[in-house]
Amino acid sequence: MIRKYLPPVLAVFGIGFAIWTVIAGNKEIPPLPPVVDPSAPPYKSFVAGSGIVETNTENISIGTCISGVVSEVYVSVGTKIKTGDSLFKLDDRDLKAQLEVRQSALRESEAEVKVSRATLADLKDQLVRAKILAGKRVISDDELERRRYAVEVAEAKLIKARTEVVSAMAYVNETKVNLERAIVRSPVDGEVLQVKIHTGEYALAGITETPLMLIGNAEPLNVRVDVDENDAWRLRAGAPAVAFLRGNREIQTPLKFVRFEPFIVPKKSLTGDSVERVDTRVLQVIYSIERKDLQVFAGQQMDVYIDAAD
Amino acid sequence: MNFIALKMLIGDRAKYLGIIFGLAFASLLITQQMAIFLGLMTRTYGFLTDTPQPDIWVVDPKVQYIDDLKPLRETDVLRVRGVEGVAWAVRLYKGLLKARLPNGTFQNCIVVGLDDETLIGGPPVILEGELSNLRHNDAIIVDNVGADGKLANVTPDGRRIPLRIGDTMELNDHRAIVAGICRVTRTFQSQPVVYTTYSRATVFAPRERKLMSFVLVKANPGYDLSELCQRIRKTTGLAAYTKDEIKTITVRYYMKYTGIPVNFGITVILGFIVGVAIAGQTFYNFTQDNIRYFGTLKAMGASDFMLLKMVLLQAAMVGGIGYGMGVGAASTFSFLSGRTELSFCMPWQLLVASAVAIALICIISSFLSMWRIVKLEPAIVFKT
Amino acid sequence: MIEMNNIAVRCEGVTKTYGSGSTEVHALRGIDLEVRKGELMMLVGPSGSGKTTLISIIAGVLDRDGGECEVFGSDFNEMNSRERALYRSQNVGFVFQLFNLIPALTAAENAAAPLMIRGLKRREALDRACEVLDRVGLGDRTRSLPSELSGGQLQRVVIARAIVHNPRLIVCDEPTSALDHETGHKVMELLHNVAIGIDRVLIVVTHDARIFEFASRIASMDDGHIMQVVNSHHDLEQKKEN
Repeated sequence: MIRKYLPPVLAVFGIGFAIWTVIAGNKEIPPLPPVVDPSAPPYKSFVAGSGIVETNTENISIGTCISGVVSEVYVSVGTKIKTGDSLFKLDDRDLKAQLEVRQSALRESEAEVKVSRATLADLKDQLVRAKILAGKRVISDDELERRRYAVEVAEAKLIKARTEVVSAMAYVNETKVNLERAIVRSPVDGEVLQVKIHTGEYALAGITETPLMLIGNAEPLNVRVDVDENDAWRLRAGAPAVAFLRGNREIQTPLKFVRFEPFIVPKKSLTGDSVERVDTRVLQVIYSIERKDLQVFAGQQMDVYIDAAD
Repeated sequence: MNFIALKMLIGDRAKYLGIIFGLAFASLLITQQMAIFLGLMTRTYGFLTDTPQPDIWVVDPKVQYIDDLKPLRETDVLRVRGVEGVAWAVRLYKGLLKARLPNGTFQNCIVVGLDDETLIGGPPVILEGELSNLRHNDAIIVDNVGADGKLANVTPDGRRIPLRIGDTMELNDHRAIVAGICRVTRTFQSQPVVYTTYSRATVFAPRERKLMSFVLVKANPGYDLSELCQRIRKTTGLAAYTKDEIKTITVRYYMKYTGIPVNFGITVILGFIVGVAIAGQTFYNFTQDNIRYFGTLKAMGASDFMLLKMVLLQAAMVGGIGYGMGVGAASTFSFLSGRTELSFCMPWQLLVASAVAIALICIISSFLSMWRIVKLEPAIVFKT
Repeated sequence: MIEMNNIAVRCEGVTKTYGSGSTEVHALRGIDLEVRKGELMMLVGPSGSGKTTLISIIAGVLDRDGGECEVFGSDFNEMNSRERALYRSQNVGFVFQLFNLIPALTAAENAAAPLMIRGLKRREALDRACEVLDRVGLGDRTRSLPSELSGGQLQRVVIARAIVHNPRLIVCDEPTSALDHETGHKVMELLHNVAIGIDRVLIVVTHDARIFEFASRIASMDDGHIMQVVNSHHDLEQKKEN
């Protein structure tokens, strides 16, 4: 009996096992939920862009007109500043020394004027007397002529001495201006965003790789939105937009259109590498962040969706 | 009559078992070979299986299959985001990078760079650590097979120390710290898989102008996926495929440009022919041996229809048993090899396909027998 | 009607030829034969005389080439193969020289085969078959396989199979040639006792002279002709003539 039923029973087990294998094998592994939900745009039709937060003055890299060692930094990151406020000062001891030298040179030349003037007065006096004596034929004509020339020389010397005073004053002023330039001042009202210069460091005049100091007006903050040039035609000036903070889709803010950057620029991919690579060309649109209570920082990236109702 | 047919069949034990084993062998061969074939084919898109979150994959229009990496421009993800019906779109980097192991050897790894913000496209199962560990500095997540195998540190005395959380390795001259161990579907080339964030992957990757391999898209509910693909294609000029479509083109690529399907096809056909030969011949012999009794039944008034039904029932019986034993054996095979490099894939369609094959074998086998019986003159019963 | 005439089987000028051309064999060259109800007709003659061909035609398993042949008023040539099969399943019982019992089936199952062909349920068919086996003296061997039975027992199973569905015509081909004399005699006695009925005919092909005593009439054949038909001394024959 067992032998008779063995094949069919084996077959039934076989089919059962096969079905079990099929069911067990077809179980799909459920996907891990995303760590953060991606942001979802509120518009039906929209252009997406990646935005970077900046100040409304744009971020100003402060430079210095003269190179030199920094002797004093007046502000720190976050300091609110007004136009004309001092930011930092370069070492000016050499200028101060030069000023003293030049001031004493000025005094010297002023004294020289006095000497010249006295000499001239003396010679003029002698000339008057010589004329009288010459009329009396006490001295020769030749002697009188000499006296006359001496007066002319003394007059010229006085003029020279006066000119030297003016020049010495100009030197003093030059040094004073240079002293003023050793103090770097803020060109705008705003906030210090970044300080990369410290007392004792050498500040180079000209464009530096890292700006010495970044300042800008952070109220309100702007977002510079990169939009692929292929999507540029879809944008309207003044179109509303929404920005999402990366990392939490719940944090979002409406944006107000400010302007288009009229010049299309090559986009740099943010690889963090020392050499940035050019990827594609983008239209940049400037929006200002409307929400005042949003905790957002200049330089932060945001996902931006611009309404493109066709 | 059914009863008589079955008793006749089982009564001839040698032939009964012979036919069954012939059919079981054919069924085993067909099922097992097709399962391995399908397994291999599913491995070609194992990466897609592991990344089930997106509905649509956006790639370069020239991409022929999923491992055919033709990077896109960075802003394409923004353009795709701007298409109506797209709920979200994130970028994904995939590339083959060289890892240097502590013992100095090199190993090619598949590096997957996930969108920094959402980490969408991560591995399906994390065994140790967490996906969000990728936010740590220089963090990577390594698949367990790679960590225990190809990426393991082999000491000079031959011991294999698996890669664990906290270990460092070198990816294309950059330092990387293991922050998790995951499990992924085995890939076609069986390279280790390393997950990291997109921006870190671009640091690891060799210098190229474009790096983004895919844009993963989730559709808004209520949007037809193929329509959305069309729209993405039209708006961006990129190729957009639903998950099933890209699986199909991947499999089709491998079918078309590799010899794999031909190889397996030959084996399956061989199994089929062996089945027809063994089972068909034995079955015909069985009918031939019993022709006197079929004649007797025919003389006693059994119609051709009844006799054909008997033959078909016999064929169905051996077919069913042979099929059952065959697929059972194939399943056992797959069960036993579950933890090895062999790939098995048994969808229900495969069971149906091998059932159809066995049914065909039975029909072909019984056809000769049926012909013999229809032609049979009942008068032979009086011949000695 | 023929029934009224008491004629069960009537053949007139039946001919049958096998093959064609040079291999042509004239098996029957014009047979005239009448078998009455209640008769046991024996066909005797040397090998190749056409006995088996004749009963094949009468049993409806072989087509005749010419002549007339009616069995209980029906002509097989007027039926299609399905009707003929149905007719055989209802009206004809067979006893074969080599038994032709399916080796995988028990005695009861073999005997029940004609009933199953007629569409009876297995249980019912087996019950009926057991009853009939009981009548042929094999009530205790219903579960035996043919390989476990002796020649005489096998032929009893065959007889049970031939009569289980109560057919009107029973054809027997050399029923005793595979048996020894004594067993053959017993089998013929049994056949005589259980198979002969008022509304039934038995046609037995044999060349075993020792069983002629069971026949009602004996037709001797040679070379496709009926040579002569003689009456036996059988009492049944006399009974029926009354």
